[in-house]
Amino acid sequence: MNTKVRDLIVTNAAAIIAGLLLSGLMLLLLHINPVEVFVYSINTMFSDKYTMGEVFLKATPLIFTALAFAFTFKANLFNIGAQGQFYMGSIAAIALSLQLDGKVPTAVLLILVCLTAALAGGLMGALIGFLKARFKANEFLVSMMSTYVALAVMNYLLRTFLKESKGEYPQTDAISRSAWLPVIVKGTRLHIGFVLAVLAAVGIWVLLYKTPLGYRIRAVGSNASASRMSGIDSNKIFVAAFFISGALAGAAGFTEVNGVQHMLIQDFNSGVGSAGLGIAILANANPIGIIFASLLFGALNVMGNLMGRMPGVNVPASIVDLMQGFVMLFVIISYFFRHYLENRREKRRLQKGA
Amino acid sequence: MNTPFFELKNVSKYFARVVANKDISFSINRGEVLALLGENGAGKSTVMKILYGLYKADEGQILMDGKEQKITSPKDAMALGISMIQQHFSLVSAHTVTENIILGNVKVVIDYEKCKKEVEELSSQYGFQIPVDAKVEGLAVGVQQKVEILKALYLKTSLLIMDEPTAVLTPQESETLMEFVKEYTARGNSVIFITHKMKEVMEVADRIIVMRNGRLTGDLSAKETNEVELTRLMMGKEMVPPKREQAEEQKEKKVCLELSSVTVQRKGEPPLLSDLSFQIMEGEVFGVAGVSGNGQEELCEVVCGALPVTSGKVLLNGTDITSTSIRERIDQGIGYVPVDRYRDAMVGEMTLAENMMLKTSFDKKWISHGFLNKKKLQNDTQHAINEFDIKAPGPDAQIKGLSGGNQQKVILAREVGNAGKVLIMDQPTRGLDLGAINNIHNNILAERKNGKGILLVSTELSEIFQLCDRIAVIYKGSFMGIYDHDKLNTERIGLLMAGYKEEKEA
Repeated sequence: MNTKVRDLIVTNAAAIIAGLLLSGLMLLLLHINPVEVFVYSINTMFSDKYTMGEVFLKATPLIFTALAFAFTFKANLFNIGAQGQFYMGSIAAIALSLQLDGKVPTAVLLILVCLTAALAGGLMGALIGFLKARFKANEFLVSMMSTYVALAVMNYLLRTFLKESKGEYPQTDAISRSAWLPVIVKGTRLHIGFVLAVLAAVGIWVLLYKTPLGYRIRAVGSNASASRMSGIDSNKIFVAAFFISGALAGAAGFTEVNGVQHMLIQDFNSGVGSAGLGIAILANANPIGIIFASLLFGALNVMGNLMGRMPGVNVPASIVDLMQGFVMLFVIISYFFRHYLENRREKRRLQKGA
Repeated sequence: MNTPFFELKNVSKYFARVVANKDISFSINRGEVLALLGENGAGKSTVMKILYGLYKADEGQILMDGKEQKITSPKDAMALGISMIQQHFSLVSAHTVTENIILGNVKVVIDYEKCKKEVEELSSQYGFQIPVDAKVEGLAVGVQQKVEILKALYLKTSLLIMDEPTAVLTPQESETLMEFVKEYTARGNSVIFITHKMKEVMEVADRIIVMRNGRLTGDLSAKETNEVELTRLMMGKEMVPPKREQAEEQKEKKVCLELSSVTVQRKGEPPLLSDLSFQIMEGEVFGVAGVSGNGQEELCEVVCGALPVTSGKVLLNGTDITSTSIRERIDQGIGYVPVDRYRDAMVGEMTLAENMMLKTSFDKKWISHGFLNKKKLQNDTQHAINEFDIKAPGPDAQIKGLSGGNQQKVILAREVGNAGKVLIMDQPTRGLDLGAINNIHNNILAERKNGKGILLVSTELSEIFQLCDRIAVIYKGSFMGIYDHDKLNTERIGLLMAGYKEEKEA
C-alpha cells in the first residue's frame, strides 16, 4: 500500500516536471529563458491569492464535464457531447436567471437555476440515451453531433429571444449581482460552484460504487447480455446514465453563467467539453482523481496566461495548450510505468518466495 | 542415449501474482507423441507458449538437438519448425482456405493458382479433403482445424503443438485427428498435445507429462501408467465420484415446475421448441439429453423468462408464470446456470462479490441505509468461497482472473442461493476439469436432496446417467420421449438423440 502511494506521487510529479521541461525546451527555441518565465509564473500563482483562486475557478467546469464523460464511460458508453449539454445548461441558466432576477431571493434563484440547468443538460443527454435504447443508434456519433445542434440552438437564441436589449451583439443581457454565485474566498473570483463540483464528484463516486443503481450501470456497461439475463433492463440504464451525465455537464453551464460570465456570449467556453474528456481519461475515469486532474489543468491554464502577460518577454498564447498536452502525455505514460513497476515488484516477490 | 529433438531445462515463468511455471524440464524425441496433461490453470498452455515464443521465460533454457536456442517470437519458433494450433483458431473467416494457409508467407505478387496447387498437394498427402477455395466461415469446426494443421504443414513444421484439439470436435472428427497424428509422427515429426482428457491421452500418446500448480508432477511412458495414477498426479488426491442416492421413500412428491404444450416459433421458420410438456417434481433431477443446438438453450430461456413462448404455459408450483419477466422469476426462486457463462452469467471486470449480487441487484437484502451493504456482500461471498471450495484470492478479486471451473463454481453458488425452487443448468460442466466437474456434480445432488426441482441439460451422456432421475431426449425442438433413468442405455439414447423414433416400448 505504501509503495503504491509513493509510486503514485513520485511518478505523477515526475510526469508534470517532464511535461514542463519539454514545454521549456519549446520556449528555449524561441530564445526565451524558460527558467525565468516558469519561476515568475509559479511564484505569482502561489503568492497571489487572486491568481490561486483562478486555478480553482478554471477547474470548476472541467470537473463537471470530466465527470460527465467518466460517468457514461463506466457504463461502457461514450458521451462525447458534454459541450452541447453544457450549452443547454448555460441557455437554461441564463434564461431562467434573467426571468427571476430581482423577483426571488438569491438562494431560491440559485437553487432553481441550478436544477433547471442540470435538467436541461440531462434531457439533452437522456435523448441520446433514448435514441440508443429505442433505435440502437450509436451513442458516440449521436452525442458528438448533438453538440452542433446545441450550438446552433444557442446561436439562434442569442440572435433572437435572448439577444441583449441594446440589440448590438449576439449576446444576452448581464444578470444582476443578486443572481451571482457567492464568492467563497474574499479577494478572488472563486465562487461556491467549486464546492458544488467537488460534492458532485464525491456524489458520483458514491452513486457508482455504493448504490445498486451505480452497480447496475457498471454491470450493463461491462456485460449487457449477462445483465439482461439477470433481470436488468439495459434500455432504462442507457437513458438513466445519459441523463445523469448530461445533467453534470448542464450544471457546468450553471456555474459558468452565474459564477463567472454572468451572461451568455457567443463561443462561450468552447473547449470545456473536450478538455473534460481529456481530464477524465487522465484520471482513469475515477471521480476523485478528476478533482485533482482538473486542478492541474486549471493551474496550467493560469500559468500559461501569466506567462503570456509577463512584461518584457513575448510568450505565445499557445503555450497553454502545449503545456497541457505535454503534461497529459507524460501523466498517461506514468500510468503505464506504474503498472510496470507494480508487475516487476510482484514478480520479484514471487521469485524470492518460490 | 541420443539427443532429444527439443528439450526444456528448468523453465520458470512468473506472472504478476502467480507462479505460472516453476522449474519445468522435459524433452521430446523425433517421431514421438507427447501429451501434456493437467487441470485447467496448471500451466500447460503457458509452458507451450514459451516454447512457441509467445511468452518469454523468466528462467531456464530451450535446447534443440542439444544446442541452446533463443525463441523470442513465434517467428523464431516457426524458423525452428515449431507450430502451435491454439484452442481458438486463428483463421480469417472471410478468406478462403488457400488464402488462410499462405497468410504471412507470400510476398509482393501472389500467384494464387500456384499456391492453390501447393495446398491441394499438401492436403492430399495426408488424405484431407478440403475445399481449398471455400471461405473458412462456411466450414465445420473439424475442417477448420484441418486448415490450421495445413497452415502448420505448409511451414514445414516438424514439431506441432496442439492446445486442447479435441475440445470442439465430434467423436468422428477426433478419430480422424488421431489418425493424422499417427501418420504425421510416423514421418519423423513430433506432436505435443495439451489436454485434460484422459481417454485420448491413453489412446494416442507415447509419453505423458503431468503438471499441477505450475510444476511438473510426472513424466511417464504411456505403456507403464494407467488412468488412476494419472488422475492422482493431476489432482494431487484420489477422487471420489459422487453417488446418487435413490429416493428413500416413494413419498407423494409435489410438482415443482410444469410446462404444458410450450411452442416457440419465429414467423416463417421451423419451430425452435414444439409442443413440449413435462413436469419436474421437488427433489428431482430432470435431464434433457441431446446433441447441442436442438433447442436446449431455448428451453432453458423459456423457463427463466428470457424467451417468450408462442403458445403454451409455464407453471411454477401451480401458478401460471408464462408472462412474467426474468426479474420476477428470479424473485420467485428460479436459478439459471447458462451454457455460456462469459456472455450470460458473469461480468468479468467485476469482483467475485459483485458477481454474487448480479441476479439480485434489486433485492433489499444488499442495502442498508440506502447504500450497498458491502460487509454483508463480502461475508456472503466468503461463505460461498468456503462452501463451494472456490479457489480465489478473495471476494475482492476480479472474476475473470479465476479459472473456468472456479468461475463456474461462483455462478453455481449464486444460482443455488437464488434458486429457492427450481434450478436450471445448461451444460454446467462443459470445458471444466475433473476436479471442478466432481465438485459441481456433488452440489447438484445436494440441491436435489434439498428438495429443489432441477432441470439439467447436458450433452455428456455419462453426466446424464450419473445424476438424473428422469431423462428426456430432445431432437429438433421436440421431445423424443421421457424415460426413467434405468430404462435407457447408451445405445438407445444415442439413437433417440439422432432422431430415430422407436415404434414401441420394448
